[in-house]
Amino acid sequence: MAATTDAAPALGPGIYRRKTKTQRVLNALNGMVAVPMRDPFALVGLAIYVVFVLVAIFAPQIAPYDPLEILFADGKLASNIPPLTDDHVLGTTNLGRDIYSQLVFGTRSALIIGLSAAFIVAALGTLVGLLAGYFGGLIDTIMMRIADVALGIPFLPFVIVLAAFLDPSVWNIVLAMALLLWPNTARVVRSQVLTVRERAFIDAARVTGSSTSRIIFQHVAPNILPLSFLYGSIAIGWAILTEASISFLGFGDSNVVSWGVMLQDSFLSQALSRGSYHWFLPPGICIILVVVAGFFISRGYEEILFPKLRD
Amino acid sequence: MKKFCSQNCGTSPLSILSIQDLHVYYETGRGTTRAVDGVTFDVPEGHVVGLVGESGCGKTTAARAITRVIPKSASIVSGRIIYDGKDLLQLSNRDMAALRWREIAFIPQSAMNSLDPVYRVGSQIIEILRDRGGFDRQRARRRAVELFEMVGLDDKRLRDYPHQFSGGMRQRAAIAFALALEPRLIIADEPVTALDVIVQRQILDTFKDLQERLGLSVILVTHDISVVAFSCDEVVVMYAGQVAEAGPTAAVLAEPVHPYTMGLYNAFPDLQRSAGTLVPIDGNPPDLTLTQTGCRFADRCPFVLDECEREAPSLIQANEGHTAACWRRGEAAALRRQAEEVTTWQRS
Amino acid sequence: MVRVVNRLLHMLFVLWAVATIMFFMFRLMTGNPLAAYIDTNFTLEQQEALLVQFGLDKPLWQQYFIYIGNLLQGELGQSFFYRKPVGEVLMNAFPNTIVLTMGALVVAYLFGIPVGAYLAWKRGTWIEGVGIPTVLATRAAPEFWLGMILLAVFAFNLGWFPSGGANTAGAEFNSEFARFTSVDFLWHLVLPALSLALYLQGLPLLLMRSNMLEVMQEEFVTMARMKGLSEWAIIMRHAARNALLPVVTTFALSIGLSVGGNVVVETVFSWPGLGRLLVGAVASSDFPLAQGAFLLITLVLVSMNFIADLLYHVLDPRVSHGSNN
Repeated sequence: MAATTDAAPALGPGIYRRKTKTQRVLNALNGMVAVPMRDPFALVGLAIYVVFVLVAIFAPQIAPYDPLEILFADGKLASNIPPLTDDHVLGTTNLGRDIYSQLVFGTRSALIIGLSAAFIVAALGTLVGLLAGYFGGLIDTIMMRIADVALGIPFLPFVIVLAAFLDPSVWNIVLAMALLLWPNTARVVRSQVLTVRERAFIDAARVTGSSTSRIIFQHVAPNILPLSFLYGSIAIGWAILTEASISFLGFGDSNVVSWGVMLQDSFLSQALSRGSYHWFLPPGICIILVVVAGFFISRGYEEILFPKLRD
Repeated sequence: MKKFCSQNCGTSPLSILSIQDLHVYYETGRGTTRAVDGVTFDVPEGHVVGLVGESGCGKTTAARAITRVIPKSASIVSGRIIYDGKDLLQLSNRDMAALRWREIAFIPQSAMNSLDPVYRVGSQIIEILRDRGGFDRQRARRRAVELFEMVGLDDKRLRDYPHQFSGGMRQRAAIAFALALEPRLIIADEPVTALDVIVQRQILDTFKDLQERLGLSVILVTHDISVVAFSCDEVVVMYAGQVAEAGPTAAVLAEPVHPYTMGLYNAFPDLQRSAGTLVPIDGNPPDLTLTQTGCRFADRCPFVLDECEREAPSLIQANEGHTAACWRRGEAAALRRQAEEVTTWQRS
Repeated sequence: MVRVVNRLLHMLFVLWAVATIMFFMFRLMTGNPLAAYIDTNFTLEQQEALLVQFGLDKPLWQQYFIYIGNLLQGELGQSFFYRKPVGEVLMNAFPNTIVLTMGALVVAYLFGIPVGAYLAWKRGTWIEGVGIPTVLATRAAPEFWLGMILLAVFAFNLGWFPSGGANTAGAEFNSEFARFTSVDFLWHLVLPALSLALYLQGLPLLLMRSNMLEVMQEEFVTMARMKGLSEWAIIMRHAARNALLPVVTTFALSIGLSVGGNVVVETVFSWPGLGRLLVGAVASSDFPLAQGAFLLITLVLVSMNFIADLLYHVLDPRVSHGSNN
């Protein structure tokens, strides 16, 4: 019935065989991108990302207004215009800013925060996990102790305190995420390294006189990269959610247009009691779409890593 | 003990179970695997029938198909499984469920995985007795103690969890489970394979003793021909989803007709006689997703002829009550002499 | 037993490490060590007393030991804003947070576990196709945004529930217990607990589902079928019971995680809990209170991780009943 779990064969036998460098890189890329995309959910996730990336790049062309510009109509402040009036698809805020334009520009900060945090978390976690798993001993013990401590710190409160002490900036959110979220990736990567390390082909590489770094990066890394991608794709969503929460609480950078700041703005401007759903629903929906896209893509990597669940 | 079939069941009146031309296929990613492809054999009442063959030959699938509890990817395509005059494949799910364990019980290969890890062993026996046997709590408890005594386990062990049992104790418990509702037929799927030889012997002794005492009919699935020699009245040798040879154990083992049986016998140490030279059969069983015109053993058979490749032989009587699917069954005595030579099985 | 002591030591280590990190963050990042404990609006005597109590005139390393010593006695200083000992302020807010968290978690697990099992059973049908993305969407939604929607619809639009706080202003109660069991309090609890529960149910649901799918592949489930047990007995007594084990331990984990994550929901509903206290303290530079709230949240998180670990070993007979042959 259930096939035994073994991550490596799913990557294709090519990784084991001796190949030229380019072939090896191509194979690894194939494992990273093409294989997970065979999952229809992962494909949908990727499609959502592509759309958001395009919106972020072409934000100035798509948005009809400057998101921070205070608009006037007939010499009066264009505040609280209901949706679908004139060219305000989603209406305006109580200060006369175009909500749709804010939503479009919010894509930029969401993707910047999400992708940079995900990259740092995945890279740091993978590096620590690789080193701890490969060398073991004291390095392993110390790094895993630090990981325990990082996991014992409550995440959101820590980000709040950090954001309050440092200047309000999106980079502090990225920093806080990097400080606290790497251990999840590191732990999983470490245990994966421990299994991969024991496999025969690593011994073979050692006997043939490959250097340590060569062994790690050429033989071990391709087997654990899907894991990094898995945790990376989840971290994107985490980062965007965290930014939204921090901004909502008022510790974000109010000069940046982000979905979190939009939600805070609407909350503080009595959008709820006024029933201005067109103001606070769209940013939340956008957040859900991006985060769910991350979940979907991670499913594609789970497919590689844990194929037994889906036969 | 032995009784005649009250209705016309179209088989030997002494059979409690008769499997006729059974086909069980698996849907896999690579296509349809014909794991059981036209299997026919009978289980005489009160007898132990060994179902023997290499792993992947379809013996477990065939045995499990009798209970109709098979994986989602498998389906019983055609055939008849006549039990006590009824075709089990025609029964409604409800009737089939009612029959399970009360009439046909099962002893699994690994009792560890087949016991629920979070309940005490005793409460799992009592579950069967109460849910399926209609016992009240007190009688169920008494019966559980009695069953444990029957299989040689201390009744204190009823309070243990499965992981607290040793491998041999688990298999004994599995026998106790199977006997709980006094079934007429027990299907034992490699019941001792996971154990060391000494424990194997003890458990087979216990099992054989109980089987004789209770007059049970048993299908014993095993890959180990020495287990067959030790405990079976009849044997059905399976190869690649089909029956290669079948008959009384003594006849089949003493005078095998099918070259596969000859090879299988050479490939196993004997429980009784001291281990001689073990000679493996070269090659692998055929891919069951592909259709094959000739005899399925032809690729590995040292006595292969041209006609073996052209057409598959059918299961035909070779001696009294002894059938084999081989074109050369007439020359069996001569082939047996050759088969004793190690060189026969070594390919160039 | 060795294991319990081991985990306990581990927990104390993590607590010590976090307390140390907090010490340096609050002393160094606030710019002035005095600023961490002394508000210039305090009376001179108060300032003097705090100076001595926290050893703020001594070198940093001595301050550190005094800080740890004070922590062990539960001494966290004076809140700038409330003009009361931090411990007292925290203890007023803590029960509100616990009630909110537990209420939400109980609802989330009571919903998530059966629905997760149901979705496992419905694997491969359209129900799964609709159900899974819906659950993922609730996991992906910011919890405060879910709260905002509930607030807009049920408080402002329909007027069924109050829009914030834990009690109607001016309501008086004989005891804390009377307050928690009053209709007024429960009425205020519904919306915040519901928005939290909406966010939290995804974890038990998805976990239960995947565990069920895994357990249904196990040999003992096949055996249960062979025994002719009813489908209900197979699913509830065997599959669900096994699948439930890891889910139950996440309940304790979730308490710890949620007490820290509540911050935003408490803010949306002006719920007088720890999270809101922390946000307010950070925003108004009430450093002793911020530090105290942070440490208390950490304590809950770390001890719940510890309990979850123990719970797993108590609930699983494979571990709690050692091998005895």
